[in-house]
Amino acid sequence: MTEQLPIIVILGPLLAAILSAFAAWFRPKWSHPLVVLGLAVSCAAALKLVFIVAGEGAQNYWLGGWGNQAHDYVVGIQITVDSLNTLLLAAVSGIALLTALYAKRLVDAELAGRQRYFYALFSLLVTGLLGIGITGDIFNLYVFMEIAALSSYVLIACGKGRAYMAAFNYLIMGTMGACLYLLGVGFIFVKTGTLNIDDVSTLLPALGQAQALFVGFVLILLGAWAKMAFFPFHGWLPNAYAHAPTASAAVLAPLATKVAVYAMLRIMVTVYSIDYILDSPGIQSVVLLLSSIAIVVGSFFSLTQTNLKLIACYFVVSEIGYMVGGAWLANGPGLTGAMYHVVADAAMTSALFMAVGCIVYRLGQAQLNDLQGAFFKMPVTMAAFVVTMAALIGVPPTCGFFSKWYLIQGAAQAGVWHFVAALLLSSLVKAIILFRIVEIGYNRVPHPAVEGNPAIPRNEAPLSMLIPTVAMALGLIALGLATSPLVNTIISKALPDGLAP
Amino acid sequence: MENLIANFNYVIVVILMMIGLWSMLAQKNLIKKCIGMAIFQTGIILFFISIGAKRGAKVPILTGDEAPVVEQLANPLTQILMLTAIVVGVATLGMALALAQKIYRQHASFDEDEILENQRK
Repeated sequence: MTEQLPIIVILGPLLAAILSAFAAWFRPKWSHPLVVLGLAVSCAAALKLVFIVAGEGAQNYWLGGWGNQAHDYVVGIQITVDSLNTLLLAAVSGIALLTALYAKRLVDAELAGRQRYFYALFSLLVTGLLGIGITGDIFNLYVFMEIAALSSYVLIACGKGRAYMAAFNYLIMGTMGACLYLLGVGFIFVKTGTLNIDDVSTLLPALGQAQALFVGFVLILLGAWAKMAFFPFHGWLPNAYAHAPTASAAVLAPLATKVAVYAMLRIMVTVYSIDYILDSPGIQSVVLLLSSIAIVVGSFFSLTQTNLKLIACYFVVSEIGYMVGGAWLANGPGLTGAMYHVVADAAMTSALFMAVGCIVYRLGQAQLNDLQGAFFKMPVTMAAFVVTMAALIGVPPTCGFFSKWYLIQGAAQAGVWHFVAALLLSSLVKAIILFRIVEIGYNRVPHPAVEGNPAIPRNEAPLSMLIPTVAMALGLIALGLATSPLVNTIISKALPDGLAP
Repeated sequence: MENLIANFNYVIVVILMMIGLWSMLAQKNLIKKCIGMAIFQTGIILFFISIGAKRGAKVPILTGDEAPVVEQLANPLTQILMLTAIVVGVATLGMALALAQKIYRQHASFDEDEILENQRK
């Protein structure tokens, strides 16, 4: 049974998407439970795989039994769960499950009459994201990328007002990214004649510094950057996620960009190698500079926004800079930080968007000035929000502290001081925004506990939204406390030889 | 020069992709962006087909016990990959046109500047 686990991870949401789409016609009430069930199966399989990978090492699965290790050739598509992607798969399926439970009330409120299609698309999106995470074939990765992208275009476009235009811009940028990636895959295929990641990685060192491979590498990177909204391709993200329905943003913002970062890490670490990056120092310094700019630009724009959703979106832009920068430091702590931050940031962004979603659900909008008295109206939500912001700032013992610690260590070891400065600046900006929100939400109204002041009625978000939000916020602390076992047993094994501590 | 003529298909691929990329990024008209996207994808499909093409090669179906001669067989993989890419391209183009139609109903215009102007009001 355990050898079938890798495929179950993607089959769960895929079958749920199909069944839920059919159920949407005949039994609309069934589509939500079906999707929750599919995601629960996938999440259970992914969690089990984390333990198996930690104990036994990488698990391979050959689709349809084509071309297994018994032969010395590869025909079919391989899917792999190893120490680089197992945590990502668990995080994606877990967050998707919690978000599916959380989204019910929001979808009923925001997409009244259309909610039955939402869940099928939601499940299809998660299938695509898990597929990118699990596949061992670079062309298959492109296919899953487009499955995820097409469903996310629709999820964004079902919002109000500017959502169509935002989705159209995202579509143009996303398609350009996917096409560049595909072109890069073509260059690798010309040189190696294979698409299997393991095969390519064994063939590449012998080919040395062939120009076609370098062009392929750059094209794939550009494609991945367009998908993950890395500076200077970040223009589409804030609009798309801010105008999308809140429930769509709650699943897209934490997962879609992180999975693209994982794809970049996979190409950098497994397909090409860290030595390949160190041999081309020209791009390394440029990318590090771009990452610092991404962090600064994201932080600056988040400071100028007055809408909570847009602030959260610009946080995503700056966090992308953390991960790309950490990966391109190309040393032990930097890569550890980047790999850990992919998971940590998925959790943090998810908790942030869930808390913002609760606020939007009760207050109707998310302008900063509407938050007056929010701490008295919805104390539990705001407590979760403060914990999340603390994690984003990097307060111990939350997970944000540890990833930042690794990243700063890596940057110091590589001597890239502008990256250290950008990381600290971004923490500072997030602290300023937290204090501003506390100021508006807590201090601008007369304190209700003082006699003579008007009482502020409690208006907490419904329990079905509150429980996932609080669980996610507590998860941030739990993830932080579990840092050292995670890094020691899993992430350090994903590091290339020679970089592991 | 001779190299360029011998590989004229790659030259055309590059030209197609440049046209596509330019109109995706620089054109203001949404429909022209969609057309650019289709041209870009066509360029990539041609590129893959070109790298798999071989003069005088046969379909790689093995009959009997004779050992296959690699030089005489075409690589079928690129064409299969492109079948998938065509499907993806059709879906993306359909999605883009559907969105463009929705935008037109909202703003009665395909022009990006006019739409942005409309949204600011």
